[in-house]
Parts: sequence; C-alpha cells; structure tokens
Amino acid sequence: MISTKKWVAIIGVILLLSAGAALYLSFRGASGTVANVYQDGKCIYSVDLSEVEEPFTLSVSCEDGTNTIAIEPGRICIQDADCPDQVCVKSGWLKNSASPIVCLPHKLVIRLENSPDSANTIDAVAK
Amino acid sequence: MQTKRLTRDALLAAIALVIFVVELQLPSPVPIPGVKLGLANVITVASMFLMGPGDTLMILLVRILLGSIFAGQMMALIYSLSGGMLCFLAMLLLRRILTMRQIWVCSVIGAIFHNIGQVLAAMAVTSTPQLAVYLPVLLVSGIITGVLTGLTAQFAANRLKLHPFFSHKP
Repeated sequence: MISTKKWVAIIGVILLLSAGAALYLSFRGASGTVANVYQDGKCIYSVDLSEVEEPFTLSVSCEDGTNTIAIEPGRICIQDADCPDQVCVKSGWLKNSASPIVCLPHKLVIRLENSPDSANTIDAVAK
Repeated sequence: MQTKRLTRDALLAAIALVIFVVELQLPSPVPIPGVKLGLANVITVASMFLMGPGDTLMILLVRILLGSIFAGQMMALIYSLSGGMLCFLAMLLLRRILTMRQIWVCSVIGAIFHNIGQVLAAMAVTSTPQLAVYLPVLLVSGIITGVLTGLTAQFAANRLKLHPFFSHKP
C-alpha cells in the first residue's frame, strides 16, 4: 500500500508540471502569420493574415454542420457554428498563439503557421 | 441474485446518465475543448470499489453509449469511449492497491488517463498532432475536478458499502 501522503505528493507533482507546461504553452507565440484551416486533417483554406486588408467571412460545411470563419487584418476566429458545444466560437480570436482553434464535432482546426500547408491540400489553395 | 445485480447496475447506469445529461446543460466555463466537470465519474469510481470491474464496465459502457445518443453527438462517442476505456484500465490496476480511504486517488489518476485518451482520440480524428498542446490544461482541470468527484465517490462508497443492496459481490 502506498500512503496517502505519497499519493498527494505524486499528484501534486503532476499538477505542478502540467500547470507549468500549460503556462509556457499559452505564452508561446505562433510561428507565423498564415492561418491554415484544416478539415479532417486536410488543409482546405490558407490565408496570410498580415496581408488581409478588408474583413471577410468564410463558410465551411461538412456533413455534420457549418462553421462561419471571420477573418480580419492580423486575426481569425470562428464567428458562428451549429455544433452543440460552441467551444470553437468561445475560443475567440486567434492572433499570435500556438494553440489552435478546434471544433471537435466538425473536425475543424485553424492553426497559425509559417506558410500555407500545401502538402496537405485537397485542391488548389484559394487566394 | 442475478435479478438483484441487474437491477442495481441498471439503477446506477441510469443515475450516471442523468448526471451526465444534466452536466451537458451547464455552459462550459472555459473555451477549451474537453474541459468539463466529469460528475458522472462519481458513479464509475464508486462502483469500482463497491462492486468491482465487471459491473463497472457495464455501467460505464451503457452510460457512454446512451450519453452520446442523448447528447446528439455521435462524434463525442469516440472521445468519450477512448477516454473512458483508458480511465477504466487505470482504475482496474489502482483498485488493487488503494484502500477505501484513498478512493479519491483512483478518480484523479483515472481523470488523467481519461484526458490522455481524449487528446489522443482528438489528435487521431482531426489528424492534428499539435492538439497535444491542450493536454497540460486538460490535466490541470482534470486533476482538480478529479479530486472533487473522487472525494464525493469516496464518501458515497464508504456509506453505501454498509447497505445490503451492495453487499453482494459477484
């Protein structure tokens, strides 16, 4: 039997390590300004946020529903989604962060990277 | 004896399901995919120590399957199932080395493995390994909620074990 004190110590160490890693990751900036939109692991859209001049929106549909993506100079977010949890909408703007926006029910991911992900595209990149 | 066992497990599965559905109605306080209270885990942890792994696995599977149907999100089934099964395996080992006063530890370690399973499933489904950046945040929230649900399960199990309804061990 492992004493309760030891368990508290083990769990405390895991908690501190995770908290440290979470803080480090949340302050780590994105590697680039190109927003790549992935659906099912395929890059379906790429846009360089530093070159956007006029705000615009983009609708991405899949068999389970639709996400409306808003793009403004320097930032991108999911404005509207018909998924039940709305986590992707509440995530807010993605500006300079390494943490991607994720819509798990629709398998949609938006990530900031150095360049358009041409290796994973299904067809020609728009724009 | 079989009827009693069936009734008891069905009752516990129904309680877990109600807790799960009620929790779905609570708005998520933080916009991080996968962060939740995990209140239904109270039933899983308590039954692990009251009845053992066989009954617990049945209750857990029924709750995950019906829960996903009631939530109207079959995609959630993949995340719940992978998290739930990894959590169950961890608890399977832990129940042998924990006392009735350390049940909360089982819940915390279970929550950690649940989060790992969830993130692995999300990485596989979206083919995005970068989703691993969410694991530390999920672990922090999982450990905190795991302590609370674990203590709840511990208090419940230590009182319920005295009741004849739970005295039968298959």
